[in-house]
Amino acid sequence: MGKRRQSVRLVGLALALALVAAACGGGGDEGSSGGNQQTAPEKGGVLRTAISDFGFTNGFDPTGEYVAVAFTLYGALTRTLMATKHIADAAGNEIFPDLAADAPEISSDGLKYTFKLKPNIKWGPPLDRNITSKDVAYAFQRINTAPLVAQYGFYYFGVIKGMDGKAKSPDTPISGIETPDDQTIIFNLEKPTGDFLQRLGMAATAPIPEEVAKCFKKAGDYGRYVISSGPYMLQGSDKLDISSCDSMKPIAGFDPSKSITLVRNPNYDQATDNLRGNYVDGISMKIDTNIDDIFSQVEAGTLDSSVSDQPPKPVLQKYLTDQNLKPNLHSNSGDRTWYITMNWITPPFDDIHVRKAANWIMDKQGILQAWGGTTFGDIATHNLPPIVLADKLGSDYNPYGTEGNRGDEAKAKEEMKQSKYDTNKDGVCDGAACSNLVMINRNVTPWTDAEAVVVASLKKIGISVKPRELASSAAYTTIQTVKNKIPIALNAGWGKDYADPYAFVGALFDGRSIIATGNTNYPLIGLTSEQASQFGVSIPSGVTIPSVDADVDACQKIPNTDADQRNQCFADLDKKLMEEAVPWVPYLWAKNITVTGKTVTKFEFDQFSGYLSVTQMAVNNKETIS
Amino acid sequence: MSQPALEEQFEPTAGDTVAAARARSSWELFRHRFRQDKAAMAGAIILVILALLALAAPLFAKITGHGPNDLFADEMLTADIGLPKGPNSKFWFGGDSVGRDVFVRTMYGARTSLTVALVATGVAALIGVSLGMIAGYRGGKTDTFISRLIDIVLSMPILLLAIGLASVCSISPNGCLGGLLQPGLSLVIAIIALFTWPNMARLVRGQALGLREREFVEAARSLGARSPRIMFKELLPNLLAPIVVYATLLIPSNILFEAALSFLGVGVPQSTPSWGRMLSDAAAGQIFTVAWWMMLFPGLFLLATTLSFNLVGDGLRDALGPSER
Repeated sequence: MGKRRQSVRLVGLALALALVAAACGGGGDEGSSGGNQQTAPEKGGVLRTAISDFGFTNGFDPTGEYVAVAFTLYGALTRTLMATKHIADAAGNEIFPDLAADAPEISSDGLKYTFKLKPNIKWGPPLDRNITSKDVAYAFQRINTAPLVAQYGFYYFGVIKGMDGKAKSPDTPISGIETPDDQTIIFNLEKPTGDFLQRLGMAATAPIPEEVAKCFKKAGDYGRYVISSGPYMLQGSDKLDISSCDSMKPIAGFDPSKSITLVRNPNYDQATDNLRGNYVDGISMKIDTNIDDIFSQVEAGTLDSSVSDQPPKPVLQKYLTDQNLKPNLHSNSGDRTWYITMNWITPPFDDIHVRKAANWIMDKQGILQAWGGTTFGDIATHNLPPIVLADKLGSDYNPYGTEGNRGDEAKAKEEMKQSKYDTNKDGVCDGAACSNLVMINRNVTPWTDAEAVVVASLKKIGISVKPRELASSAAYTTIQTVKNKIPIALNAGWGKDYADPYAFVGALFDGRSIIATGNTNYPLIGLTSEQASQFGVSIPSGVTIPSVDADVDACQKIPNTDADQRNQCFADLDKKLMEEAVPWVPYLWAKNITVTGKTVTKFEFDQFSGYLSVTQMAVNNKETIS
Repeated sequence: MSQPALEEQFEPTAGDTVAAARARSSWELFRHRFRQDKAAMAGAIILVILALLALAAPLFAKITGHGPNDLFADEMLTADIGLPKGPNSKFWFGGDSVGRDVFVRTMYGARTSLTVALVATGVAALIGVSLGMIAGYRGGKTDTFISRLIDIVLSMPILLLAIGLASVCSISPNGCLGGLLQPGLSLVIAIIALFTWPNMARLVRGQALGLREREFVEAARSLGARSPRIMFKELLPNLLAPIVVYATLLIPSNILFEAALSFLGVGVPQSTPSWGRMLSDAAAGQIFTVAWWMMLFPGLFLLATTLSFNLVGDGLRDALGPSER
């Protein structure tokens, strides 16, 4: 449900725009040494990075792992049937055959996908055998195994025939997946699924060798034994003794409390790969809990790049003002929206006029400043980030646009007057429903700073909120439990899992996705009275909860081979949500910031994972991994 | 009943005039000693000033025209990345990370810090003195029970409990326990009181244990005085000095406790200005490295307050019990 990725730090949000600018302007953002696009970057060296916390949600086991930082590493460690080029911007959202020899053959009813694998692609040491279609099928059998907790299994359950996520063991074959020979794999779907190819680019679907993985029956355990199917492998993979389950000891290259070290996979043939550059000889990611130290090491040259940690404002200030340092600051789109969500079954937000008034009054510029300005993102004018909608709504679409994005008191009050909660029609909410509203927030910057702005804005139209500042995970748990009936929340954001609007719409606005706990349809769009009673809540009398389920289905039927029509359909849905439903006050399309050191000769951003692209960056530090 | 009680009242000092003279002389002695203690006097003066500043906080808001939660983003934040601007003629202590007036917030912060300190210490003292006196005076099973309770409370993980309570009480607008506990000020006070009474109780228990064997208590008991009377009329006056001294020294540590809780994000919300919270806002994202005023001013006031309370506490201890010197 994207929540794991969404709860990861925001570091990645901002980069895309800057990269767009860079691409258009001849790579000006890529640093003095990285601007030359004509000659191939120098090979060799080690990409040395540090991160304050891996934040792994499933021990780095690809079957269940749902953290974007892991996705950036899987791009080097694994190959999927389909994959992106791990580059920035819209081009980085395009999907190509990787393990597959070609685009699949799709039946006319859109229910049968037949892939041929590239021949002679080998597993890394210690396996050294060819990767077969059965290895891919085994990955799906693992996804389908309940105890292994595939955290985004919902992309496959009920989609591929025979997959429901309830199997007890990965030995259970899946009826909808056929492997007639070692090079062929066929997927039979329950229903046409326009973005199915994108779902085959997720790391959980990368092949997994049964002879190793069968030894790991608990969620996350395989994480320390990941066998490489990609250009890099965990350092020391060749030392793994796979003669029996008991003989296997964790691979040295991954120490969950310290570091991950990748080295080149000797069995990898660059000729089979037209997606990745694979310039560096090694990749290291160390845990350094001191964020300041990470940035000072990057500046000193003892590290090559930050990963997901955001530079504190003073560091940002230094990089923005020092012309020598400025090229080392990279800001790319994180394909992520940050928003204030309002609960449709909780007064006063059960009234669309109040929700619209909240959109009109919000000082989005103030929130942006609290975040650190445009380096960290752009003001959101609708729900889905433009890059996800292929810009179908256009950059001037802003249904609640106000001067300087500071909020418009007159328009907000005009809207509020139409609400039943403004009894004396003065544009200020005067009902008891507008006071003492719990607003869940995170207890760290920039949310705590943004909170001051939000509280002050809402106060102008008579809505008084009580901020509750919680740790990030506690804040999510609180608002994801339907019966808590949290009226308004500032802590939530959503980043894409893969580049398709459905990766937003499905979990955020589809009424059928509402669940009692872990719910991410926070406004409860499309909540039925049956669902309400099931979750122990009730819909206020006289309130009808609109649903967009039919619109979602209509768009989801369009295959993404017809991207134009599909994106337009979702863009229209976003417009409808903004104007007729009003679930949120979207305020920021965030960017991810990466800071690189002087040793980086080519910076690249992986639009898929939202962080640096380890397979596309080059360094000249002459380091080696011993 | 009244006759023995009267006698008992005078008994320890054995004579009307002598008692009065002695009482006066000890009070004078105390005042004399305290006044001699220049550090304590300075502390007391600073505390009076701080109390006045706290009371006058709304006045400062009026004079400057800046409410404690008013945002002055255009004046006090840089346009590009929103860095706070420093002190100027309108914003004497500069602005904070969202453009609020640090001076006005520091003044309001005095209210929060002093309120928390006084209320939490008061509650802790009330619980601690009551339980400590009962334990010390009654002894036996009561003493065992209360002493074990003290041990249990002292072994609880304070911060984890605070974080847990803050989360649990965040769901409803009325907090939890029927509105008794709300995240923010009341929760902070409750947590501080909950974790500081045991030390007070221990101190009082120890003293009471010694006092109950003294002759004047024996005498009161033999004259038929009931336990509550003995505790309040006999023990309490004799315990007052250590209680006052300990409470005064507890106040600064409670102010720091509040600052620590707020610093860790389980204290008061941003809308309630507090020095601890202001320090934590200054530390967040290393903002103080470019906005020193965000840390300096609340830090100075916090330092002045805790130092003053400590000086006054030391002065009181010296003045009340010269033997402990």
